[in-house]
Amino acid sequence: MFRKFIFAVPLALAVGTAGAVDSFVDMAQEEILQTLIDETGSPYLGQSPQNLQMMPDNPAYWVAEDGEALFEEPRGPKNVSLEGCDFGKGPGVLEGVYVELPRYFADTGKVMDLETRLVHCMITLQGFSKEDPAVKKRHGSDSDMMKLQTYIAMQSNGMKWNPPMDHPLEKAMRDAGEVLFYRRSGPMDFSCQACHGATGQRIRASVLPNINEPTEWTKAVSWPAERAGQQNVRSTQHRLRGCLWQMRHPGLVAGSDASIALISFWTDAARGQPAILPDLKR
Amino acid sequence: MSSKLISKVTLTAMTTAVLSAGIGSTSNAAESDKAAAADYTKMSPEALAEHLIFKAKGFKLEQPAQEGGLAGKRLEQDETQKICTVLRGKAADAETAEKVTAMARDSIRYPEGGIQLGDWKIGRELAWSGFGYRIGHKNDDHSGAKNGPGGNCYNCHQLATDRTGGNIGPTLTGYGKLRGTSEAILKYTYDVIYNANAYFPCTHMPRMGANGMLSSEQISHIMAYLLDPESPVNK
Ligand code: HEC
Ligand code: HEC
Repeated sequence: MFRKFIFAVPLALAVGTAGAVDSFVDMAQEEILQTLIDETGSPYLGQSPQNLQMMPDNPAYWVAEDGEALFEEPRGPKNVSLEGCDFGKGPGVLEGVYVELPRYFADTGKVMDLETRLVHCMITLQGFSKEDPAVKKRHGSDSDMMKLQTYIAMQSNGMKWNPPMDHPLEKAMRDAGEVLFYRRSGPMDFSCQACHGATGQRIRASVLPNINEPTEWTKAVSWPAERAGQQNVRSTQHRLRGCLWQMRHPGLVAGSDASIALISFWTDAARGQPAILPDLKR
Repeated sequence: MSSKLISKVTLTAMTTAVLSAGIGSTSNAAESDKAAAADYTKMSPEALAEHLIFKAKGFKLEQPAQEGGLAGKRLEQDETQKICTVLRGKAADAETAEKVTAMARDSIRYPEGGIQLGDWKIGRELAWSGFGYRIGHKNDDHSGAKNGPGGNCYNCHQLATDRTGGNIGPTLTGYGKLRGTSEAILKYTYDVIYNANAYFPCTHMPRMGANGMLSSEQISHIMAYLLDPESPVNK
């Protein structure tokens, strides 16, 4: 399960093959990042040697371990585990599911991201109510939601982002997400592009990822991630919330189709590049 | 949005309402979700994006906003935002540029008694501050800010070198030393802060005056920070 501890390859090997690396699946998170840095020289990817150094001891691994226990334990009013939950590759299959989300689910008729799918299973399979803290509390390393998300996402470390676009709804949501990304509004006229449309752009000292560079964008969308400054593992939906707040736009309704459209577009923009899961960020 | 698209959106909403009102069991709620969702594929990406914001209420539209009214209003685009959205950061053609600059010039209001430089020390605080108008999981309470909501200038510009600024805009270090304080420079600087589209159509610099983010008085302090020979920007 904990690939990182089992398959860690010596760093020298990864560096030696930079440029010719086509499989990242057996690499530790910091080795994936180091390889991308070596291949691209990106100012965004390389901005924090301290974080790179801290990655082998990422506190998010403990959160993932708690998530594994929660996943397997019979829970909720129906007293069943989440092993019956289908994240897209069949009940209980976790390997590689996260890099293929959001996706269309026939049982709900909707495109869902990891968080909304997890909520769906906790409610329908385990019988939790929407108001139960297990479902309702979305943020913080001590929340069930973040433990589970971190554990599930980690089973896609090193795999290439590959959100499906076969169903017309998947394509429609991605395309609407693209419109939302470039849509300027609010008192500061911001769109996401204002800050994430070029390489080497900085807000104060932070170098920002460019959505047009998949090698940068793969790290940008690698959530859950430990935020060193916040001492908590944070989710994709949490990151979106932060940028919208800075933009002076109203907050997203958690799990709304608008949020999933944005996430569909941003995941598609990282297509083909290796996920770093869980990541560690400032 | 074309009228054709509007009618489609309305129709979907009606179908959904009829379906869920009529039956109301969980499985039929899922059915109506499906009906609504299925129709997403018939909308243009632009129409679907509008639908997800305003009809499906994907954002917290009903939150009260600091400027009064509801937060949802901030997601309604004005003419400038609509035009500039389409460009996606590329330069405007001559006709579009002229239209945007003309609207920007019309928007600028000058203080009574002309453009004056205020206090650079207050201007420094305002240029540093990223406080104000943020809304959502936490709301900025403006009553706590002595000089009012901030200008966010450092997020995008290097100014005095005692603090690291961003680079989304050009460096403004030594701005006053390089340009002086002629009438023309005062007007140019005021205009840019008030509505930079007057010179840079579809710029990413926010329309701080025109959008009500900064008052004329706040702008006068920030201008002093940029132009006063005593300001650290010019040392
Ligand atoms: C005003 C500038 C600004 C705008 C506009 C903006 N962001 Fe961000 N974004 C940031 C900053 C600052 C960070 C955090 C960088 C850091 O902490 O190092 C960030 C981080 C991110 C990240 C994570 C990057 C990482 O290193 O993990 C993603 C993804 C992202 N933004 C997406 C978006 C999306 C989507 C939008 C539009 C809804 C948006 N941003 C709008 C400034 C902005
Ligand atoms: C979101 C980023 C952003 C913020 C915030 C911002 N600016 Fe700008 N500013 C820009 C950009 C980008 C330009 C360049 C205009 C262009 O080419 O689009 C610019 C241009 C300018 C110029 C003209 C520079 C010249 O060489 O003539 C001045 C003066 C200026 N800004 C001052 C300010 C001040 C003062 C503030 C704070 C009240 C501020 N800006 C906030 C992005 C920003």
